[in-house]
Parts: sequence; C-alpha cells; structure tokens
Amino acid sequence: MLKQREQSAFSYLYDHYSGALYSIILNIVPDRDLASDVLQEVFIKIWKQIESYDNIKGRLFTWMLNVARNASIDAVRSKGYQKSQQNRELTESVYFAGGSTETNTDKIGLKKVVNSLKEEYKVLIILSYFEGFTQEEISKMLGIPLGTVKTRMRSAISQLKQLIR
Amino acid sequence: MELQVYIESGVIESYVLGIADPEEILEVDRMKEQYPEVQQAIDEFSIAIEEQAFKNAVEPPEEIKQQLLSSFQFHHPAKSNTETPLLVAYKSTVDNETPNISSIPSITNWKYLAAASIVLFVVSATANLLLYNRYTSTKSQYVALINERNSLQANNQVYQTKLRDYQSATEMMADPSVAMVQLKDPAHKKDNMATVFWDKKTKDVYLLTNKLPAPNTNQQYQLWALVDGKPVDAGMLDPLCTSLCKMKNIPLAQAFAITLEKVGGSPVPTMDQLFVMGNI
Repeated sequence: MLKQREQSAFSYLYDHYSGALYSIILNIVPDRDLASDVLQEVFIKIWKQIESYDNIKGRLFTWMLNVARNASIDAVRSKGYQKSQQNRELTESVYFAGGSTETNTDKIGLKKVVNSLKEEYKVLIILSYFEGFTQEEISKMLGIPLGTVKTRMRSAISQLKQLIR
Repeated sequence: MELQVYIESGVIESYVLGIADPEEILEVDRMKEQYPEVQQAIDEFSIAIEEQAFKNAVEPPEEIKQQLLSSFQFHHPAKSNTETPLLVAYKSTVDNETPNISSIPSITNWKYLAAASIVLFVVSATANLLLYNRYTSTKSQYVALINERNSLQANNQVYQTKLRDYQSATEMMADPSVAMVQLKDPAHKKDNMATVFWDKKTKDVYLLTNKLPAPNTNQQYQLWALVDGKPVDAGMLDPLCTSLCKMKNIPLAQAFAITLEKVGGSPVPTMDQLFVMGNI
C-alpha cells in the first residue's frame, strides 16, 4: 500500500517536472545519452532530499532547477566527459565561436533566450549560468576587470529578464 | 526608492538563477526577510523562469522513468515533521510519510568504478609486496656491508700496529748505540735463536724471538742478563708479543740467556732448561 502510494507520488513528480528539467540539462549537456544519465541522477537526488527541501527558501521548481543545473555542470566538468569532448570543444565553444556553430540544444529552453542576447552579455550568462564559473574566474578567462564583469553581468541579467517576461 | 533600485539591480535574478556571489546571497536572504517586495520580486522571477522552462519542456526518453521506478524500493516510511507543501499532488498522496531509498541505483559506471578500484587494489598490493622484498634484500645487503667494513677496519688496525712496531724496530736497529746480540743454542744442536737489542745509552732491552719452540701453557720463557758471571732477571717474555718485545732495563751485562721457567718466572735460572745464549 505504502509502496504504491510513494510510487505514485514519484510518478507524479517525474511526469510533471522531467520535461522542464530535461530541457535545462540538455542546455548544459548537449550529449543526449549523458543528459539522460544526468536526469536520472537528478531525480534520485531530488527524491532523496525532498524532505530537507524548505519552501521558505524558494519555490520547489527553483530548487529542482538548481539541482539539475549543478548536476549538469558537474557532469560536463567530469574528466571522462572532458576527454571525449576535447576536440569538439575547440570548435564549438560558445565564447570562441560565438553563435555561428549552434548545436540543436542551443535552440531549446533558456539557452534559446540567452542566444538572442548581445554577444558580450551572452558570453557572461553562458559562462556563469551554463558553465558554472564564478565572476572572478570569468574576469580572468576573458581578461576583463572584475568590476566590469559585475556591471556587465547586471545589465545582461536585466536584458534577460525582459526577454523572459 | 532605494529598495526599487536594489530590486532592479539584477541581484534578484542572479540569486534565483544561482549565479550570485556568496555575499550577494547573504544580502538577498537578509533583504527578503525585511522587505516583502524583495520576496515578491524573487517569486515573480522564479515563476517566470518556471513558466519559461515548462513552455520549452523536452520529453525525456521513455525508459528513464521505468529505470528510476525499478531502482527505487519504496518501503520503511519515516515520519517527517516538516510538511512539504507546494507540490499538492505529492502532499495529498504521501502526506507526512517520507520516501526511503535503500539502494542507490547504478547510473552508468559504478561497475567500472568497482572494477577500477579492485584493479588498483591488486596493483597496489603487488607493488607493496615487491617493494617489501626489495627492502628486505637491500637491508641484508646493507648489514653484510657493515660487517665487511668492520672487519676491514679491524684488519687495518692490526696492520697499522704491526707496521708501527716494525718501524720502531728498524729505527732502533739503525741506532749506533744499540748493541745487537744473537742468542743461540749453546750446545749447537738445535737451531733455536733469539736476538737481544740493548741500548747502551738508555739501558733499554728488546727481545726478538727468531725461533723458539712454543712453550706449554704453564711455562714461560725468561730472559737473563749475565753480569760478572751472575744471572740477573731481565723479564718474562709475554706470549702475546709476536715481534720486538720490551724487556727490563739492564745497566750492565756481558751476556744474555733464555731459560724456560714456570709461568711468572723464577728468581734463579733453571740451567737444564737453557735454550739460547749469546755474548755481547
């Protein structure tokens, strides 16, 4: 009985949220097989931690989205993935090649919105949100002072906010 | 007014997206407690993101859900004090019971991890064994070398002592004030022989036993100086002395003789045990 009830609760959770989460995972992990692995991992994490989730801290989906985003960034940063993608990254890296070599996964979800931003804003959102770098790391990577990164990031975000609304 | 500037600065959106600095997060956490407007802005952007995500949802492969369901084992519900609202359907079906996962499912590569760790363990154990063997053999070689060095050092000391003895003997023999007296068998039957070096200036007496039969353990050779026909004790021959042996000082003598006496010597020579004799 209990087992069945838990199972149906999980089914509901999965049916309701998996599509939205899968889209954000694909934005970060373009490889569909790996993205599916990450989705599984994300639901296991969510299911294990749902009792520690506190709604005062924010909406359930916002929390789940962050779990998915972090798991995706971890997957992309893992050694095995880095190796397999080494050659591709040289040609496909967004901040080197700009939007000219968009993959399919760039045309879905939040990334589609981000791709319509001005180039200098897009780079910042991609590096921080989709690749998980801190502003300090971004400042070093792009050779831009940290203060500039901060102000540009603010502008990029308010642009993004307009587009999402 | 200032609050509005803060809300529109972009920090709220950074916070919701999870790309805010740690300080910014603390600040927003503090601000939202204090100002409902901040909380409202957070909620609004969260909802916007949520709607955006649902609008762009991508259906994941069918089999993932089945894999997840079969990898969970739903049992032993634990009581939870905190409610989990927001998810209405979840709340109504599960209420206060919390899910329990007894086994974490394999995603793709735990097998590889397990295999890799076993391989690593075996490699490490083998390496340890090899290194231990090498260590023990090196240690025994080291001990052997130490022993060899010690014995070489001891030999070296023996040779040094001998060399020093020969050196002083040579110097003494070259000294013109030293008289060399050859002592031989008075009966001329045996080729027993000894040599006495007598320094006339210092009156020192040295004895070199060229050839004398080895005495019994309870016997010892004794040197005598003949002074005006009377024998004077000139000292016992140390059985450990192998080259030139220092004897007692003798101020005046006409001849030297060696007799075999009991250990420790005798006040008068035992004449039938006279081995060698020689005049100056």
